Amino acid sequence: MNRRPTLDSIRPCLEGAVPAAVATCDAQGIPNVTLVSQVHYVDPGHVALSFQFFNKTRENILANPQATVFLLHPQSSARYRLALLYRRTETSGPLFESMKAKLAGIASNAGMSEVFRLQGADIYQVLAVDYVPGAEVPVSQEGACHIARLRQLSERLATCAELAGLLEQCLQGLAAQLNMPQAMILLLDPTAEKLYTVASHGYAQSGVGSEFPVGRGIIGMAAQCRTPIRIAHLASEYAYRRVIHEHLAAADGSALETEIAFPGLDEPHSQLSVPILAGARLLGVLHVESAQPHRFGYDEEDALMLLAAQLGASILALQQLAEDTPEPVEEGAAPLVPPGPPLQVRYYPVNSSLFVDDDYLIKGVAGAIFWRLLNLYQQGRREFSNRELRLDPTLRLPELDDNLEARLILLQRRLAERSTDIELHKCGRGRLRLQLNRAVVLQQVEAG
Amino acid sequence: MLDAEQIDFIQSGVSIAVASRDVRLVPSVSKAVGCRVAADGRQVTLLLDAGQSQQLLRDVAECGELAVVFCRPSSHRTLQLKGHDACLVELAPGDVERASVHVQAFAEDLLPLGYAEPFARATHGFCTEQLCALRFTLSDLFDQTPGPRAGQRLEPQA
Repeated sequence: MNRRPTLDSIRPCLEGAVPAAVATCDAQGIPNVTLVSQVHYVDPGHVALSFQFFNKTRENILANPQATVFLLHPQSSARYRLALLYRRTETSGPLFESMKAKLAGIASNAGMSEVFRLQGADIYQVLAVDYVPGAEVPVSQEGACHIARLRQLSERLATCAELAGLLEQCLQGLAAQLNMPQAMILLLDPTAEKLYTVASHGYAQSGVGSEFPVGRGIIGMAAQCRTPIRIAHLASEYAYRRVIHEHLAAADGSALETEIAFPGLDEPHSQLSVPILAGARLLGVLHVESAQPHRFGYDEEDALMLLAAQLGASILALQQLAEDTPEPVEEGAAPLVPPGPPLQVRYYPVNSSLFVDDDYLIKGVAGAIFWRLLNLYQQGRREFSNRELRLDPTLRLPELDDNLEARLILLQRRLAERSTDIELHKCGRGRLRLQLNRAVVLQQVEAG
Repeated sequence: MLDAEQIDFIQSGVSIAVASRDVRLVPSVSKAVGCRVAADGRQVTLLLDAGQSQQLLRDVAECGELAVVFCRPSSHRTLQLKGHDACLVELAPGDVERASVHVQAFAEDLLPLGYAEPFARATHGFCTEQLCALRFTLSDLFDQTPGPRAGQRLEPQA
């Protein structure tokens, strides 16, 4: 008996790059054959086909669950047959959303966005995979060995002792080790069903502080379903601006940061979002994109899921470390008040937004924290610990479940990007130092 | 019967996938590398590589049932034909040449979609010594161009 290929070994055939032929048969013995754009890999023993219309294939599998699929390898043209048995249909959830997004990319590429619409993911057990001999072309072997690259990146992350460094090393490593130069990390704001950008790589504007709704677009669906979502072609219904706009227009849309533009390519032809989890808890999303179609496949998806798993565990550990074991405060002599006209800082408690000389800086939790720091600064304080901010009654931070360290990184980045007069630096684990190069005048503006 | 335009379409180097089934109604599927239609517009002959289509040929010999889908990748236009009397027949003179022309025409349709020619040709590669012919009489014709109307039965021309 010939050794059969495994489903795992033919995953490139399941990228939707080349249509597959699906044969079924009705109860009277009349065969039917159709071409499908997507045979989706579910696990080593299952695939899913997209159910878009109630057609003959669907009628047949409900009467006779046997199906046979003819697949072509998208680079070598190697041929395979799958012997399938229909098991069930899913109409929501991670697999459904993942297939829906992928289909949107395929449909958009085919000029059929209005035609293709996923109604269900039909799940089939794979009974056999057979190789069919025939003409093939050699496949270039230049593809990166992900497992080796991932190990290098993993070792890089393991040396990071604080969160900002971890995020930076992760994004630099994605560019250097995995050749994914456009990437961003968004963390969950658990109180508001939104994600905020805490770090990015490969964009003219970092977009740090910008926000994205949970449950919308690729990034939001990856967060909501805690599943990787991947698109191989530009799909307008998943464009970032459109998604954000639709969210804001929706009646239930909670307020999003709109002053800071979301980073991201104008025309991302490939996108991959993976959830960052720590145990059962969602911490955020790691998102990569490329101007080139079909840039990310199943292997890249696996690599990013592993990376995100390490990221999740490390984020949680470093967050805890920063709050549990702050280094002691060493207050030096207060510096002289710097010369020059004072900076006007305005604070609006209604949404915790903060303006420096009429320029928008930040709002929300990070805005409230910064306002508190400025007030303490006016009282002579220069250094602050994460722990005192966590416990500060005026801030009313959630006891748990809010990544304070990430909020501080976000604040630091915004200050570094927006002002040369205000500097916020780390000065040891779980500690910050605020430095003002000009005097400030603080003004709190109540809603009126 | 097929009209002249439909005959042109299915003979023009489109992608061809063929299906049958065994006695237990388990489907079989393979690719064809060419097609010709008799002057009556009803007798359709498909050219296949027997080495790639063993189960399908066994099933056709057993039951005579056959479904075949023709699709042009560049336009997505798709037609499905069915027949109940499919059987293996002798190759006709010029069939190898017909298959070669088909493979080249298919590759040319694929090139603008971004596929390299060697790949496009390999997808319909066949071994000359293994080329065989399956003939059937058209019983049913369906439009299967993607969309909500896919699967609609087309009225046979009088």
